[in-house]
This record gives sequence, C-alpha cells and structure tokens, in this order.
Amino acid sequence: MRAFAEWLSTSAPSVAIQSRFWFIRVLQATHLITAGVAVASGLMISLRVLNFQRADQPFDAAWARFAPWLTASLAVMLLTGLAQTLGDPVREFTATSYWVKVVLVLCCIAGTLWFARAARRAPATTSFSVTAKLVAAALILFWLLLPLLGRMIAYDKAIWGPLSLRT
Amino acid sequence: MSTHEILATIQDSALGNWMRYTNGAMPVVEATHVVAAVLLFGTVLIVDIRLLGLADSQRAYTRVSRETLRLTWLAFAVSVITGSLMFTTSPLTYFYNWAFEWKALALLGAGVNMAAFQLLTASGVSAWNEHSRAPRAARLAGVASLLLWAAVVLLGRWIGFTKGYDFTIPAGLDLGPTG
Repeated sequence: MRAFAEWLSTSAPSVAIQSRFWFIRVLQATHLITAGVAVASGLMISLRVLNFQRADQPFDAAWARFAPWLTASLAVMLLTGLAQTLGDPVREFTATSYWVKVVLVLCCIAGTLWFARAARRAPATTSFSVTAKLVAAALILFWLLLPLLGRMIAYDKAIWGPLSLRT
Repeated sequence: MSTHEILATIQDSALGNWMRYTNGAMPVVEATHVVAAVLLFGTVLIVDIRLLGLADSQRAYTRVSRETLRLTWLAFAVSVITGSLMFTTSPLTYFYNWAFEWKALALLGAGVNMAAFQLLTASGVSAWNEHSRAPRAARLAGVASLLLWAAVVLLGRWIGFTKGYDFTIPAGLDLGPTG
C-alpha cells in the first residue's frame, strides 16, 4: 500500500495538486463546510427514524427534505476527499483513521439507502422496527465519527499508537 | 495587568500545561472541536435555509427552529469548551494570528445577528411563522447567519494553515525566553 501511495504521489495529477498549496486549502475548507451539511442531514434522517425529530411527519416527508442536501453534499465531499487523497496519498493511505473513515462513510451510505428503500415501500411510515432504530442509532454515532476521524488523520500515531499504519 | 501578561498567565496555567504536555490531549480536543463546529454549522444551516425559503417552506419557522435548537446549543457549548482548551496551549500565538482575530470577529457578528433577529424580527414571528416566504429582515438575517457561521468554520480551519508563521508580533513585545 505504501509503495502504491508513493508511486501515486509522483503521478502528474498528484504533483499538480501538491504544487498548488492554495488548492489544497480550498479543498480542505470546502470539504469541512459540506461536512456540516452532510452530517446534519444524515443525523436528521436517523433522528427521524428514532422519532426524535419530525415525529409529526411521515418518514418520506423528512426524507424528501434532507435526502437531496445529503446527496449533493456527499458528492462534493467525495470529490474534494478524492482530490485531497490524490494530493497527499502517502499521508492518507498510511493513516488508520483514513481507512476507518472510508468504512464508516460506506456504512452511513448503505444504512441511509436502507431507510430510503423502507420509505419507498411504505411512504407514510411514521414508526420503524427495533432493527431500523438500532441501525439509526449506529448511524448517528458514525456520522459524528466522520469529522472526528477526518481531523485525526493528522495525528494518526498519537491516536492509534501501535494500531497506526504509519511507521 | 496587560493583555500580554493575561495571555502568558493562561499559557503557564496548569490547564495550559496539561493540554500541551498530555499525550493525545490536543488531537482529541481538536478533533472534538471539529465535530462540534460541523454540527453547529449544519444545524444553523437548517434554520437559515428555512428563513430563505429554500426548504421546509411548508413547515412553521418556529417548529424548525425549536427542533434544531438543542443540537445547536449542545454543539456550541462543546465548541466553546474545546476551543478554550485549544487556546490555552499557545494563547500568545493565537491572539496575534490574523485568522483567529477574524474568526473571533465573525463569531461576535454571528452573535449580534442572532440577538438582533430574536429581539427585532422574531418578536413578530406569529405574522409570518406559517408563510413559505419570510419577511425581508428575516431573510437578510438568514443570509448573514449563513455567511458568518461559514466564515467561523473556514477561519477556524485557516488558523491551522497560518498558526506559527503567518502572524505579526507587536514591535517591542517581550515574549520571554524561548527554546
């Protein structure tokens, strides 16, 4: 993995990003702002499943409110995240926080899509099964862990100790 | 007591030393600060875009506001606590950092905007609470809030880019022994 990251860091797109320090700053700032939109939207959907938010609305109304913002912000985060990874692949690929974050992003997307499927099957649903509520509770934790892990990439060895992939 | 002496006292405090020298304290506190800032901005955004009529236009403003308020205040409290802890690590550096100064100003602006909105515009909310289009003053407050809180988040990130090398120290200021 390290060898691949080192090769990637010498590729033309990676060098182009590395050589424009202002671009890295803009990428990080955009990633952070859109994280606010994504995390808040994801949380609201999960909190609705738990009946802690918008319990007066059927789930599909809450879904229609937050899903477009979640999708758009995740798309921007994916692009800015990939560009940041390309700009410093060794730093990212050798951080345990980075890989845990990637797994949690996939879990958040899969879990939220599962709710979407439930909304399509029963648009007027107001309450969910215990399983769905457990998934929602896990997703709330995962959404909050995403920005935490993102910042922790810079401190991988201090946070993960022997579990850090950095040598 | 001069500003410099106050900052030096904070830096030499037990809390400042604990933050600086405890393994993992700064990374955990900083990462928690980021989570709180992200949550704060995201929940404020939900209310602001309701004011702007971009979403939730069929939902009463007070309802949207009340639903997010607890999360917003929780995130704000965590931000203030973690931000203060981070400040104790090197207040002399932060205080003279331009991004930190502008962030403090943006934070003050966001507070003033919120207070003015609550005292002036929201006092007559019953007249437009259910309307999909809020009055101009409310929409302006929404835009100002959006821009100011985005500035707080972005300038917070910029402190990390500039801290340590892109700040000016007033001429003649004795920072004491270094190294």
